[in-house]
Amino acid sequence: MAYPYTHEKEVRILSKHFGEPEARTVEGWKARGGYQTLSMAFEMGRNAIIDEVKASGLRGRGGAGFPAGVKWSFMPQDGGRPHYLLCNADESEPGTFKDRELLRWAPHQVIEGMIIAAYAIRAEQAYVYCRGEFFETTQILARAIEEAYEAGYLGKDILGSGVNVDITVHCGGGAYICGEETALMNSLEGRRGTPRIKPPFPAQAGYMGMPSTVNNVETLSSIPFIIQEGADAYRANGTAESPGTKLFCVSGHVRRPGNYELPLGFPLMELIDDVCGGMKEGRTLKGVIPGGSSVPILNAEECANCEMSFEGVIAAGSQLGCAAVIVMDDSTDIVKEVRRMVGFYAHESCGQCTPCREGSAWAEKILRRIEEGRGTEEDLDTLMEVTSQMEGTTICVLSDSVAAPVQSSINKFREEYLSRIRTGEKAGVA
Amino acid sequence: MMTDQQSPQTVTMRIDGREVTVPTGTTILRAAESVGIEIPHYCYHPGLSSPAMCRLCLVEVEGWPKPAPACKTTVAEGQVVHIESEMAQAQRTGVLEFYLLNHPLDCPICDQSGECQLQDYVFAQGREHGRGREPKRVLGRDDFGGDVLFNGDRCVMCTRCVRFMREVAEDERLCVVERGNRAVIDTFFDEGLEGSPFAGNIVDICPVGALVSKDFLHKARAWDLDRTPSVCPSCSQGCNITLQTRDDLVQRLKPRENMDVNGWWMCDFGRHNYEWINRVDRVEEPLVNGETQGWPEALGSLLGRLKEAKGEVKAVTWAHSTNEEMGLLKAMMEELGGSEVVYRSPRTVGELQLPGFPLLARREDLAPNVRGAEILGFTRVGDEEAEGGLDDLATHKGVLIVVGDPLEDQNENFGAQAELFIYLGSYLSKVAGNAHYVLPTTTFAEQEGSYTNVQGRVQRFWPGIRSPGSARPGWLILGALFAEFTETEAPIGADQAFVQVAKGVPEFGEITYRDMGTRGAPARKSAGVAGD
Amino acid sequence: MSEARRIPFNNPGWAGNTGEFQLTEAQVRGDEYVGKRPPEGGHPSGTSTYPYMLAEKDPEAPLFEGAYQERFEKIRSRYPDARSALLPSLGMAQELRGHLSPETMEQVAQLLGLSPAYVRGVATFYTMYNKRPVGRFLIQVCTNISCSLCGGDDVLQAFLNNTGTEMGETSEDGNFTVMEAECLAGCGFPTTVQINSRYYENVMPKDVPEILERLKAQGE
Ligand SMILES: Cc1cc2nc3c(=O)[nH]c(=O)nc-3n(C[C@H](O)[C@H](O)[C@H](O)COP(=O)(O)O)c2cc1C
Ligand code: SF4
Ligand code: SF4
Ligand code: SF4
Ligand code: FES
Repeated sequence: MAYPYTHEKEVRILSKHFGEPEARTVEGWKARGGYQTLSMAFEMGRNAIIDEVKASGLRGRGGAGFPAGVKWSFMPQDGGRPHYLLCNADESEPGTFKDRELLRWAPHQVIEGMIIAAYAIRAEQAYVYCRGEFFETTQILARAIEEAYEAGYLGKDILGSGVNVDITVHCGGGAYICGEETALMNSLEGRRGTPRIKPPFPAQAGYMGMPSTVNNVETLSSIPFIIQEGADAYRANGTAESPGTKLFCVSGHVRRPGNYELPLGFPLMELIDDVCGGMKEGRTLKGVIPGGSSVPILNAEECANCEMSFEGVIAAGSQLGCAAVIVMDDSTDIVKEVRRMVGFYAHESCGQCTPCREGSAWAEKILRRIEEGRGTEEDLDTLMEVTSQMEGTTICVLSDSVAAPVQSSINKFREEYLSRIRTGEKAGVA
Repeated sequence: MMTDQQSPQTVTMRIDGREVTVPTGTTILRAAESVGIEIPHYCYHPGLSSPAMCRLCLVEVEGWPKPAPACKTTVAEGQVVHIESEMAQAQRTGVLEFYLLNHPLDCPICDQSGECQLQDYVFAQGREHGRGREPKRVLGRDDFGGDVLFNGDRCVMCTRCVRFMREVAEDERLCVVERGNRAVIDTFFDEGLEGSPFAGNIVDICPVGALVSKDFLHKARAWDLDRTPSVCPSCSQGCNITLQTRDDLVQRLKPRENMDVNGWWMCDFGRHNYEWINRVDRVEEPLVNGETQGWPEALGSLLGRLKEAKGEVKAVTWAHSTNEEMGLLKAMMEELGGSEVVYRSPRTVGELQLPGFPLLARREDLAPNVRGAEILGFTRVGDEEAEGGLDDLATHKGVLIVVGDPLEDQNENFGAQAELFIYLGSYLSKVAGNAHYVLPTTTFAEQEGSYTNVQGRVQRFWPGIRSPGSARPGWLILGALFAEFTETEAPIGADQAFVQVAKGVPEFGEITYRDMGTRGAPARKSAGVAGD
Repeated sequence: MSEARRIPFNNPGWAGNTGEFQLTEAQVRGDEYVGKRPPEGGHPSGTSTYPYMLAEKDPEAPLFEGAYQERFEKIRSRYPDARSALLPSLGMAQELRGHLSPETMEQVAQLLGLSPAYVRGVATFYTMYNKRPVGRFLIQVCTNISCSLCGGDDVLQAFLNNTGTEMGETSEDGNFTVMEAECLAGCGFPTTVQINSRYYENVMPKDVPEILERLKAQGE
């Protein structure tokens, strides 16, 4: 087996060719049925593509879960001004590691999806905003794009259709916040990566003030299948509200962490116990962060009946986010891990908004004090209040992301904080 | 084609229970301002873009899930906004607490104290006891060059300064370095702000004591200063300013908002060119042939001598003289059958325009009332330094009247041959020694008066400091003399003097002091054209 | 690189230590597919993807001449304005010089018609632009949540111990600078370490000496 992390319960659509080096090449991709959807799409026309994507119910895979087809339909219908398609490959949410896999194993899948999307939204120029650290990955992508140009899939008059699409890879410089779509546009413009106030929304004024659409790598990678097989085939997987398959990035204390492509709605415990081989020897589940570090922690009880769909995780008390499942067993030091996550947000806050800039650093300091055994019970109230002052008061939701782990962990693992405060000793099983 | 027919031009909404009607597109912050409610804010400044990042102006909008930044949110018909509701107050208190976490307890040694928006806001609605227990961040001071000193610890990161340099000065020498909580304002390493002609404005717009003036450092406490509306005398732009004074000394000049002239800004040249106002080598009492005399005696004998004088009358003034002085000088000259009035004024090469507010430029004429002199038909003589050009006056044998100009460039024989030499001025210059009559005048800072700026805008100023001795405004002296001559009423206020002057000057037309108010009034373009 | 090298130890630069894994390191990394990329830039669409954390640095290298000038122009041609080319240009400057000194920022500013202060503001926003010189190998160890749960702190400590350095400082021989990194998007393969432009995954403290030896020996 080429790709080490597979499981028979997987439904491998996006990840079908992971681990096959030949699938990276344009010839190899074609041999696997790639690039057939371009002429199909150009024949369908823009509206039909958008309708098909709408019908598929595909929801954005970057975290917010906004329906992709609906987002595309916000783009102005007339020409005149340049439109831009921006592929969000800034993957930096702690726990997430799917976009890099998609880019390095199936680069042509993303390219194919981008060509269709660009055509649908009337963009002739598309950018892939790649996380700067992905040097190896971006070089694979760059090579694949070069091959696509050589094969006539990119550039002017693609396959004689009259459609023009250029793709440029743009590398970031190391800043999580540039994954936020408006910060991404600022960064692409050569500015500090600070999020912009909305409105105006990207479809009105995005990159260079022009109509723009931002989509995640996985969202765009899903497009060829939808065009090829149709919306119904796509909906054959997943739930009514969350159709399709999704790459679940499982990390932490499971035996077989990795990326697993499963239908949305897949039970969380089955993912952990069966697909990922369960907890490590002799350990029990303490909690799970189901959607990347920005969403509330679930305790073991809440995990029991959680279904991994957008609606299912909300029902369980958290959010699906980008389906980055971080599993923590009973050895986990909650105070330390929460402090580490909050430290991340403090480090990555762009610093515009006062609550985020000051609050994230403050919360980190308090948590560090507690971790070092110098906390007081009052600190917990302060943390709850400080983080609540950070919710809904800022330009982007990074600030809210600090509140999620802090508040959920204090609510659900208060005893652990208290014992740290009282004894200075970390909880959890050694 | 779609038309805007249905979209109404105004919107009516409620702020804290008050009904407010404002033009469509107005922000909540401005709408509140229009009914006199101030919403605390830092990053918003009317002259800059609104990044809505300080989050201090968050208000409650009924029906909205989140608080809205008042500086960026536009009003909507029927909207109900709460600024003083519990929720809105809690937001502000919360944000202020964040500001205080790393803010030093510097008030006793901070120049901003007394006019600091952090101090004010925290006093009004801060938490009684901050909960920050962690050590504060320490950044220290950084000399930004020019007149600007940066106290990093006091900065609230509103980025007004950065945006001013980028958007208004268009000289992007400031930046936010780093990000998040590590962010600080800085210049490009040692480059500093030196040579940037408008950089001083960042000190004004800094809402706290992070950017302070080196010139003003620890000179005075804000609450000890008296503030008087005035006009910058350093060039013909006539930026509206406030004289900030203490103990009858000007401590600093600050721009005063006037959208028709200078916006919120002024140039550094004008800002720092004030020491001369505090000059102490002043004439304090009238001197008649070198002897101190009281005003009644001096004016009485002068009147007599003027009536007797046979020779031709010549006069020179400068462009620092007010409209009133100039106008009455002109009237006087006409009465005495004198020839034209000449004036001198320094000139530099090239304007320094403020790119983001192009109405404002440091003009080539480095005196405030060149336009006034032109309107009154005075003839400009002398060179760029306002020197020379007075050869025929220097040796004039008839009556010589000097108003204002201390004639520092002239030699000690100037006016020595004059039959009657009258010097109205503020300073004891060597030339004044030759004058039969030295009549001490007040400077613009000590009197009420008006200037006409380069745009032809007539602008008033007020007395901010007391004059030394018994110095009087030039218009009062000239007005009295003229009245005696013509057997009319002498003006007893600058407003009357202006009315008297304006009568004969079509450009000034019917303008009164009341029309000018604190923001000036445009003179008519030219006599023949009916103004509209 | 022509000889297909077997993965020498259990942290092959990717996730495969399950024993079922049949690929060479070069295949996983895509080295063979990518090939050697020309300094003047290949196709202009990918000219910003060059690694800019390299072992060999020349702080005096000119900006930009010859092949690099050509690449710079290709980069410029992909954007509607000069400002947008700032990040890739800073990257290329760092590729040559190893870090962005004030002079470098000023030169890049000049090339793009921006103010030096502006460029400083942008360069300091992003963590990958080195504002001071670093060792030949910049070792960045992820200690964020997923790696932390699996011992990331120990791996970081192992790198510090084995290089004999303090966090962020460069070893005396100029070879190594070790730093803590935020999540590198390798969470399923903990601990993830970025060394110059390459990822090392599933790194355990015991692997550290071997990795350092390998770096010294083969240069990258
Ligand atoms: C702080 C923050 C970080 C984000 N990071 C990413 C990211 O790394 N990748 C991503 O695709 N979306 C990220 N997003 C979401 C994007 O803003 C945006 O919603 C998404 O790219 C849209 O694509 P989609 O509709 O295809 O999901 C982030 C959002 C926030 C607020
Ligand atoms: S919430 Fe934080 S990251 Fe987002 S814009 Fe505000 S300061 Fe920047
Ligand atoms: S120095 Fe003053 S104006 Fe500039 S960001 Fe700080 S507080 Fe605002
Ligand atoms: S521009 Fe002229 S009037 Fe304005 S501040 Fe400068 S010198 Fe004074
Ligand atoms: S004034 Fe509105 S957010 Fe700063």
